[in-house]
Amino acid sequence: MPAVDLQMEALERSASRRRTFYRWLLFLILGVFAIYYLAPMYVMIVTSFKSMEEIRKGNLMMLPKEFLLDAWKIAWGGRGYDAGDVFLRPFFWNSTKMVVPAVVISTFLGAINGYILTKWRFKGDNIIFLLFLFGCFIPYQAILLPMARTLGALGISNSITGLVLVHSVYGLSFTTLFFRNYYVSIPDEMIKAARIDGAGFFKIFFKVLLPISAPIIVVTVIWQFTNIWNDFLFGSSFSFGEAAPIQVALNNMVLTSTSVKQYNVDMAAAFIAGFPTLVVYILAGKYFIRGLTAGSVKG
Amino acid sequence: MATLEARNLTKNFGSTRVLRQVNLDVSDGEFIVLLGPSGCGKSTLLNMIAGLESVDEGDIRIDDYVVNKVEPKDRNIAMVFQSYALYPAMTVRENIIFGLKQRKVSKEQTEKSLSHFSKMLQVDQLLDRKPAQLSGGQRQRVAMGRALVREPQIFLFDEPLSNLDAKLRVEMRREIKKLHEQLGTTMIYVTHDQIEAMSLATRIAVMNEGIIQQIGTPQEIYDKPNSVFVADFVGSPSINLVPGKLEKNCKGFNFVPDQQPDGFNIPINGYAFENSPQEGQPVILGLRPEHINLSNTFQDAHLDLELKPTLIELTGYEQNVTFDFQGHEVTGRLPRNAQAELGSPLSLSLDLSEISLFDKETSFRI
Repeated sequence: MPAVDLQMEALERSASRRRTFYRWLLFLILGVFAIYYLAPMYVMIVTSFKSMEEIRKGNLMMLPKEFLLDAWKIAWGGRGYDAGDVFLRPFFWNSTKMVVPAVVISTFLGAINGYILTKWRFKGDNIIFLLFLFGCFIPYQAILLPMARTLGALGISNSITGLVLVHSVYGLSFTTLFFRNYYVSIPDEMIKAARIDGAGFFKIFFKVLLPISAPIIVVTVIWQFTNIWNDFLFGSSFSFGEAAPIQVALNNMVLTSTSVKQYNVDMAAAFIAGFPTLVVYILAGKYFIRGLTAGSVKG
Repeated sequence: MATLEARNLTKNFGSTRVLRQVNLDVSDGEFIVLLGPSGCGKSTLLNMIAGLESVDEGDIRIDDYVVNKVEPKDRNIAMVFQSYALYPAMTVRENIIFGLKQRKVSKEQTEKSLSHFSKMLQVDQLLDRKPAQLSGGQRQRVAMGRALVREPQIFLFDEPLSNLDAKLRVEMRREIKKLHEQLGTTMIYVTHDQIEAMSLATRIAVMNEGIIQQIGTPQEIYDKPNSVFVADFVGSPSINLVPGKLEKNCKGFNFVPDQQPDGFNIPINGYAFENSPQEGQPVILGLRPEHINLSNTFQDAHLDLELKPTLIELTGYEQNVTFDFQGHEVTGRLPRNAQAELGSPLSLSLDLSEISLFDKETSFRI
C-alpha cells in the first residue's frame, strides 16, 4: 500500500502544481488586459494634473512633478473672462436635468409595457412586441429629421425638455425589451393569485411585480443612463448654445480653443464628462444581483 | 357555502378546442376533484370558474348567479396554485393578509383571522419571514393560509401538491381532507394524481380531451368505470384490458379472448349489462389486478386457471405479478407470501363478479 500512497501523493502534487501554474497564467493575462484598457484613463488623469510646461517636456506616462488643480478648475468653472470661454459646469447640470427624467420615464414606461406584454396578454400583443423589437434596430440617424419636425411642431426644439422626449422615446424599445424578457420568467400564477386577492392592474404592478424587479431596473438604468449621458448626436442635432448637454459642450470646448491646445484642461474636461457613468456603474453594479424572485415558486 | 353550476362550457384557444360542452354541478360542501391527464382541460375549467379565463360559450353559476362576466375578486372564491404563487417581496404575514387589505377589512378582524388561520396551519412562527426562507411544505401552508383567511365560498385548488416530495404530499393531502371536514366549504380540486383524487373527493370528474368522461363517487369511478379511458386512468397498477368477443351460451354470455385456438372462454353470466349485448360483439374485458389472486381466494363467481409469471414487483406488503395470458400481459396483486417464480405456472383465480365490459368500437361500458 505505501507504494500506492506515494504514487497518489505524487499525482496530487503535480495536479496542484499545474493548477497553480494555470491560475498565475490566468492572472497574468487578465492583468495585461486590465493595464491595456486602463492606460488611456491613466494618461488622462496624470495629464490633467500637469502644467502645460511639463506636458510639452515630459513623458506621457510619468506622474506629474506636482499635482496642479488649475486644469480642473478651468474645465469646470472657466477662466473668468466672457468672450469664448466654454466650461462644463452649466452643461453638466443641463445633462443632469436631461438624463434623470429621461431615464426615469423610459424605465418606468418600459416596465409598464413589459408588464402588459407578459401579464395582460391581448390579441395582437405579439405584433406590438415585434414592433418594439424593430424599434431597437432603428439607427439614430434615421430618426433625426422626423424628430426635428416633431420637436418643432411641439415647440420644444433646442430645449432640455425636447431632449428628454427624444431620449425617452428612443430608449423605450430597449427598456420594453428588457422588462418584457424579465417578466416573462415570472410565473403568471403570481398575478392570478393577486387578481383573486382583489388587486387591480396598478396595485399588482406596484405591490407585487415592481418590488422584485430590482435586477432588471438596475440593468435598464445603467443602459439608459450610459446611452443618454454619452449621447452626442441627438444633443448636437437638437440643441445648441446654452441648452446643450455636456458632450456637446465638451466638443465645443476642445475644438474651439483658439490659442494653444490646453491638453491638461481637455483631459480634465473629458474626465468630468465621463465621470457620472463611472459612478453609476460602481454604485448600481452592487445591486446587480439576480435571483430575487427565489422563493415565490419552487426553489 | 355555495353551489356551483357549469352549463355547456366551451373554450377554444385559437383553433384548439380545450373544453367542449362541459356540464358540472357541485352542491354545497362537496369536494369535487377534476382528474385527468395533462392537456385534458381541467386546469382551464378551474381557471374559468375562478374568472381568470374568459368563457367562450355556456354559463357558470355560483349560487344561481351567472358569473361569466364577474371579476375573480368578486366571485368570493380563493385559489391555491401549484407553484404556490406567493409574493416574494412580502413577508408571510403580508402575503396572508394581502387579500384582506384589498378588501379594506378592519384591522382587528384582520389580526383575528390571521392569528386563527396561521395557528391552524402552523405557520404562526413564520409570519415575519420571506417566502424564500421557507421550505416547500411551509410555502404551501402559507399559500393555503392566504386562501383560507378570506373565508371564501368556494376553494379552488390547482394541483397544489404536485411540487412537494412524496412524503410531504401525503401529509398535506391528509391536512386538506381534514380542512374540508372542519370547514365544510365547497372545494374544487384539480389533479392528475388518481390517488389524491380517490382519497380526497366526495365526487370525481374524470376529464379527457375537453369533456367530462365520467362523474361519480370515487367508488363508482373505480368499480364501474364507464369507459376504457376511465378504467385505465384510475387505479395503480392499471386495470387489465383484454380484447375479445361475446358468445352466447345456454345461460347468458361467454367472453372469448381474441386469438383463442383451444376454445378457452370466460363465463360472464353474472354480469349486469347496461346495454343489450349482441352475439359476436367485439368487446374489451377489464379486470383490476386485485381481482386476480391465488386460487381459493374468491368465494363468488370465479374462474381458476394457471398462468406463468413474467415479471414480479414487490411493493412491500404485497407483490404485483405480471403473467402471460394468451399473449397479453395481465397483472395480479398477490399476497407477498405467494410463491411466485418466473416461468413456473401458478394456480390463480379471477373474480368474475368484478369484471367490466366495454364495447370495442365506442370504448364505452356495456
